[in-house]
Amino acid sequence: MPVFPSEEWFTEVRDEYNKDPSLHSGGGGACDTVSGLEISDRFFRIQFEGHQCVDIHESSKSDIEDLDFVISMPEETWREMVEDIQANGKASALLTLNSIDLSSEESIAYSPVDDQYRQDLFYRYNQNFQDLMDASARVETSFE
Amino acid sequence: MSEEEGKTTAEPIAKPTFKWKGLSNQWDVKVEPNEHGLRLGDLNVGIYGEVPEYWEDQTRRPRGSVSRPGIPPLSYSLRYKHDVWADCAADLYEEAIQRQWIPATDVPWETLETLPEEIEKAICQVCTEVSQYANSEIEIISHWQDEMSYGFHEVKQYLATVSFDCARHVEALRKRALSNGGGLGIESKGVANRMILQSSGGWTESVAYLYLVRGTYVFHLIKGLHNSAHNDAERFIYKHMLQDHARHLTYGYDHLKYAVTHKDGQAQVMATLLAVGEGIMARELDTSLIRPAMAIIFGEGVEGAKTKGMDCYLELVKDFVADYVEICNWIGVEKTGRLNPALQQYLDL
Amino acid sequence: MSEAVELPKEHEVDVSWLDNMGEWGIKAEPSNRGMTLADIQLSSYGELPEVSENQTGRPRGAAARPEAYRVGDYGVNKVSEIWLDNAEFLYEEALQRQWSSATDVPWETIKPLPDDVEEAECLLCTFFTEVEFVAGDVPARWIGKTSADFLEPRNVLTAQVMDEARHMDVFRKRALANGGGLMRMSGSTSGFVGSIDLSRDFTEMSTRLHISGEGAVLTMFRMGELFGQNEAEKTMYRLCAQDEARHVAFGVMHLRYLGATAPERREEIEVYLDEAESQILAGQQNPASQASETSEALAVLLGGGQQHYDEGYKQLLAIRKRQLKEYMKRVESAGFGERFTNGRSPLPKQYASVA
Repeated sequence: MPVFPSEEWFTEVRDEYNKDPSLHSGGGGACDTVSGLEISDRFFRIQFEGHQCVDIHESSKSDIEDLDFVISMPEETWREMVEDIQANGKASALLTLNSIDLSSEESIAYSPVDDQYRQDLFYRYNQNFQDLMDASARVETSFE
Repeated sequence: MSEEEGKTTAEPIAKPTFKWKGLSNQWDVKVEPNEHGLRLGDLNVGIYGEVPEYWEDQTRRPRGSVSRPGIPPLSYSLRYKHDVWADCAADLYEEAIQRQWIPATDVPWETLETLPEEIEKAICQVCTEVSQYANSEIEIISHWQDEMSYGFHEVKQYLATVSFDCARHVEALRKRALSNGGGLGIESKGVANRMILQSSGGWTESVAYLYLVRGTYVFHLIKGLHNSAHNDAERFIYKHMLQDHARHLTYGYDHLKYAVTHKDGQAQVMATLLAVGEGIMARELDTSLIRPAMAIIFGEGVEGAKTKGMDCYLELVKDFVADYVEICNWIGVEKTGRLNPALQQYLDL
Repeated sequence: MSEAVELPKEHEVDVSWLDNMGEWGIKAEPSNRGMTLADIQLSSYGELPEVSENQTGRPRGAAARPEAYRVGDYGVNKVSEIWLDNAEFLYEEALQRQWSSATDVPWETIKPLPDDVEEAECLLCTFFTEVEFVAGDVPARWIGKTSADFLEPRNVLTAQVMDEARHMDVFRKRALANGGGLMRMSGSTSGFVGSIDLSRDFTEMSTRLHISGEGAVLTMFRMGELFGQNEAEKTMYRLCAQDEARHVAFGVMHLRYLGATAPERREEIEVYLDEAESQILAGQQNPASQASETSEALAVLLGGGQQHYDEGYKQLLAIRKRQLKEYMKRVESAGFGERFTNGRSPLPKQYASVA
């Protein structure tokens, strides 16, 4: 049973997301982005191409200027979202990436080069990222 | 002054007036979705479905909402229902949304194969001119859309889908022309485009030229292209263009019929417009390079164009003119025996 | 009886044009995103004129026909006036991300709400329907004024008009789906957004509409996930937010392109930004501002009811602060950020003063 957070966990989630088009909800069409997920002091690079999440791997937080944006939250917040998804099949209203972002004083997404245009890709592709996270409902998860 | 002193204390919470509460022309409305979902036409209940014969409002007031005094007027000039209406508009809007297609990824581009050069050139020429047709459709729609008042939001929303369809056609045809060793052809002389873009007497006049006169021809043209497609990519493009275009014509014909039956004198106006338009369309047919290009496509080359190819194309035009006559009659503008001789000749072939 | 074979009738077929077509031998290949507009930007077909003299509507790269009628009314004919570097990308993205308000919103999840919440939601939906009327009408007006040589941004604008039609439709549906109805119009679409109407330059219009107006509305739509009472509302606001983000992106990237390629127009653009920002501060048109009815409705929704108005209002103020910040960052991204450090813009002070 993969542990959250880990590359193994994200890989299983990615595989679930990719193999089932029904997980790609209306409006969550093709997208192309290379982004980062910052989970406390751990960092994962994630790449979408078209309708697929083509890569997600653990990385370091160096040389990230190429990333469109990074979603950064403390591990507790990520865990709260994942636990909610595990319990309910998808994120509850107040625990979606969007809701967490709006409820935070500062945005949970940032552009490594401080470019709002690239940070706005978090809004443009929000549905894809949420659908990916919601796919974790199908992955038995343990926590550190 | 310190930074802290520079900041004000928390912004005071403005005391609400709640003046907006209770202000509705009709409350307790509950439209339920059915097996097709919740469609635009389903919302036409009570006052929300009362489409006026004349929309007095010159603001952006949503139909059925409460007006507000003192709002400066906007310049919507199309305020009679008969200026824009078609009963099918709401349904066509929803159908358009359901039937979207994506040229980049839905068309099987890998099925394109090299064609004999004269056929490739003919296809590219037709793509060029038909994309110009689509371009002029976008331009005339977006011109008049801005003039349409919001009492008839179904029509405005539907026309937004039409422009989007046409943008997709421009895109798909350009992609086809540039993906098989060819290129774009020569631009259209613009005879019919000019007729459409210069129509300034109202949206109805533009619809008559855009959909009845030229659009009926374009329908047959795309059908002909589909029937002679060389590969699945072309077949896909033409089939979906035909589907979209059929929707455009449905709105167009329905609107014209509505206009003729609901506006005094409109039938006579239409008769005059069409008499002029028929002559122009005949010139379009004569001067457009679509004619020889289609003959080459149908004839599978230049040699075949001179016989079978042109025969097929003339048959296509004959079908267009016959359809045109029938639709005019249906709309309420009698055309049997009253066609411009320049178009009549195609029926007499 | 003659046994001669009857030869088919021969027609005259003009083939002179076969040697006069546009550049030949082009074979675009699909990329991993399919056959996109970017993939066909090959050779002369990808060359943008600095100033378009195309008044016939000729597709870019097609061979000109000397006797073609000049039917265009193309006031927007300089590339700097309309272009943006990722136009093809935005258009293809728009095509990929279409949705249906009829079937993609789970309308069956709507259940009766307390009257004060339903009223607030219906007022907001009435407002959004009205606002999207502007966002649909105005870009449409500019499409036909833009040279056909710039088909990529034209297509993006056409996609926007499509998106706005869908937004008008979804908010009307929500207002009429749960025992409520439409309420009083705001009238603000003849005020601040009236100046969007009155813009006589595309960039002026885009600055007001895409960067200022739609930037603010984007935040409102995103908030829908917080104040939405059911899955239907959350879905509709989320989907609208994605569309809106694309429109904002158009504005930012166009302004960036213009700022870089037409430096002589920078001061003019600064004036448009001055005006947009004074309207932001005046707050009449921003539903998250203090003075509008829609802000009261938002506060009711964010608080979960009239009895929690103050709590909702505090959330609204926090979101207004985010709106201001994001606006400033977008203008900075567009290459006009100096106005926030040289004292020209009043917004940094406003932002800093909000606790």
